Amino acid sequence: MDFLRPASWEEALAAKAEHPTAVPIAGGTDVMVEINFDHRRPDVLLDLNRIGELHDWEVGEDTVRLGASVSYTRIIENLRSVLPGLATASHTVASPQIRNRGGVGGNLGCASPAGDAHPALLASGCEVEVASVRGTRMIPIDEFYVGVKRNALAPDELIRAIHLPRADGPQQFSKVGTRNAMVIAVCAFGIALHPSTRTVRTGIGSAAPTPIRAKAAEEFLAAALEEGGFWDNGKIIPPAVARQFAELVSGAANPIDDVRGSASYRRHALGVMARRTLGWTWDEYRGNERSARCA
Amino acid sequence: MTTLPRVTGEAVARIEARDKVTGAASYAADHPLDGLTHAWPVTATVARGDITAVDDSEALRDPAVLAVLTHANAPRLADAGDPMVAVLRSPHVAHHGQIVALAVAETLEAARAAAGAVRVTYDEQPHDVVLTADRPGLYTPDEVNAGHPADRRRGDFDAAYAASEITVDAVYEVTPLHNHPMEPHAATAVWDGDALTVFDSNQGSTVVRSTLAALFEVDEADVRVVSEHVGGGFGSKGTPRPHVALAALAAKAVGRPVRLALPRNRIAAVTGHRAPTIQRVRLGADADGHIDALAHETVTQTSTLTEFVEQASVSSRMMYASPHSLTTHRVARLDVPSPSWMRAPGECPGMFALESAMDELASACGLDPVELRIRNEPPVEPDSGRPFSSRHLVDCLREGARRFGWHDRDPRPAVGRDGPLLIGSGVAASTYPVWVFPSHAEAYAGSDGRYEVRVNATDIGTGARTVLTQIAADALGVPLDLVRVSIGRGDLPAGSVAGGSSGTASWGWPVHKACTDLRQRVSDAGGHVPDGGLFVRADTEQEAGGGTEYSRHAFGAQFAEVQVDTVTGEVRVRRMLGVFAAGHILNPRTARSQFIGGMTMGLGMALTEGSFLDPEFGDFTERDLASYHVAACADVPEIDVHWIDEDDPHLNPMGSKGIGEIGIVGAAAALANAVHHATGMRVRRLPIHPDTILLGL
Amino acid sequence: MDGTSEVGLRINGKPFSRVIDNRTTLLDLLREQAGVTGPKKGCDHGQCGACTVLLDGDRRVNACLLLAVSLDGADVTTVEGLADGDRLHPVQQAFVDHDGFQCGFCTPGQICSAVAAIAEARAGWPSVVTPPDTPPGPVEPTAAEIRERMSGNLCRCGAYVNIVAAVREVAR
Repeated sequence: MDFLRPASWEEALAAKAEHPTAVPIAGGTDVMVEINFDHRRPDVLLDLNRIGELHDWEVGEDTVRLGASVSYTRIIENLRSVLPGLATASHTVASPQIRNRGGVGGNLGCASPAGDAHPALLASGCEVEVASVRGTRMIPIDEFYVGVKRNALAPDELIRAIHLPRADGPQQFSKVGTRNAMVIAVCAFGIALHPSTRTVRTGIGSAAPTPIRAKAAEEFLAAALEEGGFWDNGKIIPPAVARQFAELVSGAANPIDDVRGSASYRRHALGVMARRTLGWTWDEYRGNERSARCA
Repeated sequence: MTTLPRVTGEAVARIEARDKVTGAASYAADHPLDGLTHAWPVTATVARGDITAVDDSEALRDPAVLAVLTHANAPRLADAGDPMVAVLRSPHVAHHGQIVALAVAETLEAARAAAGAVRVTYDEQPHDVVLTADRPGLYTPDEVNAGHPADRRRGDFDAAYAASEITVDAVYEVTPLHNHPMEPHAATAVWDGDALTVFDSNQGSTVVRSTLAALFEVDEADVRVVSEHVGGGFGSKGTPRPHVALAALAAKAVGRPVRLALPRNRIAAVTGHRAPTIQRVRLGADADGHIDALAHETVTQTSTLTEFVEQASVSSRMMYASPHSLTTHRVARLDVPSPSWMRAPGECPGMFALESAMDELASACGLDPVELRIRNEPPVEPDSGRPFSSRHLVDCLREGARRFGWHDRDPRPAVGRDGPLLIGSGVAASTYPVWVFPSHAEAYAGSDGRYEVRVNATDIGTGARTVLTQIAADALGVPLDLVRVSIGRGDLPAGSVAGGSSGTASWGWPVHKACTDLRQRVSDAGGHVPDGGLFVRADTEQEAGGGTEYSRHAFGAQFAEVQVDTVTGEVRVRRMLGVFAAGHILNPRTARSQFIGGMTMGLGMALTEGSFLDPEFGDFTERDLASYHVAACADVPEIDVHWIDEDDPHLNPMGSKGIGEIGIVGAAAALANAVHHATGMRVRRLPIHPDTILLGL
Repeated sequence: MDGTSEVGLRINGKPFSRVIDNRTTLLDLLREQAGVTGPKKGCDHGQCGACTVLLDGDRRVNACLLLAVSLDGADVTTVEGLADGDRLHPVQQAFVDHDGFQCGFCTPGQICSAVAAIAEARAGWPSVVTPPDTPPGPVEPTAAEIRERMSGNLCRCGAYVNIVAAVREVAR
């Protein structure tokens, strides 16, 4: 196995162009597991650790540009006010040891349906900045996951950063599992309220071949909120609306029976998480609105 | 002459504690050796068949690769009578995951890559891996694990059951469970001519030594086995497992030292597991809860390589008064990995079933579950009529109920609520038999006033080294720091296996005997040890080798409180309490850790651990620690442990019963019973998954 | 490019450099080449924590998931590097005092992890169980916090109850 250690982003892209089968590795927590499992035997590894910019983030006016290798620990520590959904999800990634090394780039690169970052990324409506010697392009997260453990990257492309809209409203993440910690999600759910556009976005993990959004649920909820004037009056969401939202989230999933849980349990749990996280985010939204009015 | 205070009974810190917290304690894969090479296994990808070809050309292309050993080219091992270590002897594949080849290389990286490059082709045959209670091929074994008869009948169960006012008839299921000690099975082996040295991870190096001698047809005296520190075993290292035979075989083949540490995801298939059980329990009682009829019928599986029968029905032979009793075992030979011992084989799954059924009976009778058990306390062991050497189950139940606040609870199910959480509590009894096996020990008094004791005990984390030192110091009547106890080497006086919770009794007895004798010798010599020292040997072939006229068991009572999330179905444990009666407790510190450790593993069995034999590919789907959920720190609440000191003259000179396994016995039932109290739902299949809870709520 | 690279790092304060196989993990480098066998290989997949070491100060990582070649210039502390001469690190001493282990195999990882967990809580890093309204500053080392923060380290002997007690004593 060869090990390439580019010192700069340009060198990395050149190396990837020359060795399209090279597997990029940064924190190592996703790739090394696959290697240690003998699931992958790459001929060439492309070590991105020397590229400092991948560990950097910038909080802009509207968006946060998150380097692909920023560790989950750093996200929790530094970005929980601007990216609350992703920060909450980061808390539950594997173990503290893995959170110290692993970053969102690895989750995106491996595109496992069980990756903990995906629901929050989908709910945020982020874009993935990918690059090759041919140039840079932005892939909307909705178009990023193309199949089981497959993403929209071309063989010569590398993930450079993730551009996430700064949270303009409450965001939540929830997952269920049999163990309290170090658990691969039986299923996971993320939700983000976007008061500025009066929309709601969702993300579902471990309940379909790829991470997905529950679009029908989002549209239904946005319409219901609009119709009832909820964004303005800040009233409690009627139970029937929450229930319908939950059912649509369940319906969006296409889970399988496996050793971690049955398909029907996954559907049920998703509905439960959808209802709960909607309740939490909406309570927070109402609280924020109230305090904004009082101030 | 002053009398020293006794150190047995004192909470002495582990003698090797400093080594363990500084990283100085050396385990089987930690010993540096010049010229060391590394091995990596290749495992069968079919569940049944015969190897037709092995292509190692790609693997051998790397010059760092020294050999790819298979049944076709490996030095042939003699038959040591144990199929588990009969490695690379035959082209036949008896189960998926069986080791079919071994790559040996200069480095670990090269060995692993070589193993991955070996291509094995098979003549694959249809396999049969699915256990059901009514499948064809179930048979009655001659005996079950630990030498018990498969079936016992007393009175007329059918008639008594039919005549009973209150009956319970339920089937309980436990999936396969994996021991998964944190230290993978590992051995480092080196030959010097016909002399073999292995650093091995096992629960008893005396047997490893004799087995290796038999496999390689060398003199036992030429086999040195070192196992000073062992990273847990829980039964899976109780007899020699394939890794040690393979390491020694490879070292012989390449003429270099070889280290083999089994990769975690290969362990479940080749080192044994707790076999799944399907247990039907029927209880017939009068309205006051007095049991008249008890049937416990176990269906389980074994492999085509070995017959191991999990003796799940045997605790029903001694737990409760039951004039009419039927206890049976049926087993199917399947194309599955070989089952073996896992912490409290038999008692652990068996008491999950029996103690769940007792809870069901209590509900059916409208009786408090503690009271129900007290009412069925037998005067003598029901199965044999033998008196109990000591039995303080009732005291454990009462003391536990008092400490837990049991009687403050509302006994009605599904009434304890905390928002979306249902809260409930449960109780179950624990038991584990007293085992003691013959062992040998030597004690030496130096003229410098120091003492050395040698016994081939194995400390797998139990605290054996420490407790044996305490026993020796007391028997010698000298302070602890003047006594050094050597354990964990095959060339020490033969010791029995660290299994069956028998270690302290089995090794402590000859230590006690030798040290008592040595003390007398020193006294006879006028209290002065002559130049050259004094030396004695002792064994317990007589004392420990025979039977006993008593029924000897430890008992306990476990209480648990759980919360059940009504919206997700997740069950979390809020607290657990155990009260045990296990003779004299020789070291409260290490004993407490043992009890808590057993209860913690029981928590895992109840809620997080479960394994599934995939019918398609014929192996476990949970093969690593991400999919097989050993309980993590966040799963385990405060666990409170107490004991009732027993003065039982029918045990051994220390008056101790074993404590390593009883903690897991009853824990799962206490938790399942708590789930019933919380929800009104009876879960009879472990682990208790959120799915099951939600479907039932 | 012959599949090897030169790497230099500091292990418990001592420099160590060598040409190594690119496939070598930090864990295998420590154990098989540097003679530092405190870190243990329990799973090789980042699923058990027995290989936990401290990287560049007190950042805990799974040594089995790091390629040694990517760590040129790194500073690695293992359980062997915690004591001050004969004086045990307070976490080591607390593990002895509370019987925070049985077989001892997971212990080197538990102890390194605990050292980092205590530092992280003191530095105010929240965990998933930290109440959202907690003011900035050191996080109170409750039993729930410690259980969560120590959950990257499995212990099959079931010493968690004692481990939590040991960590809590030092974290206070």
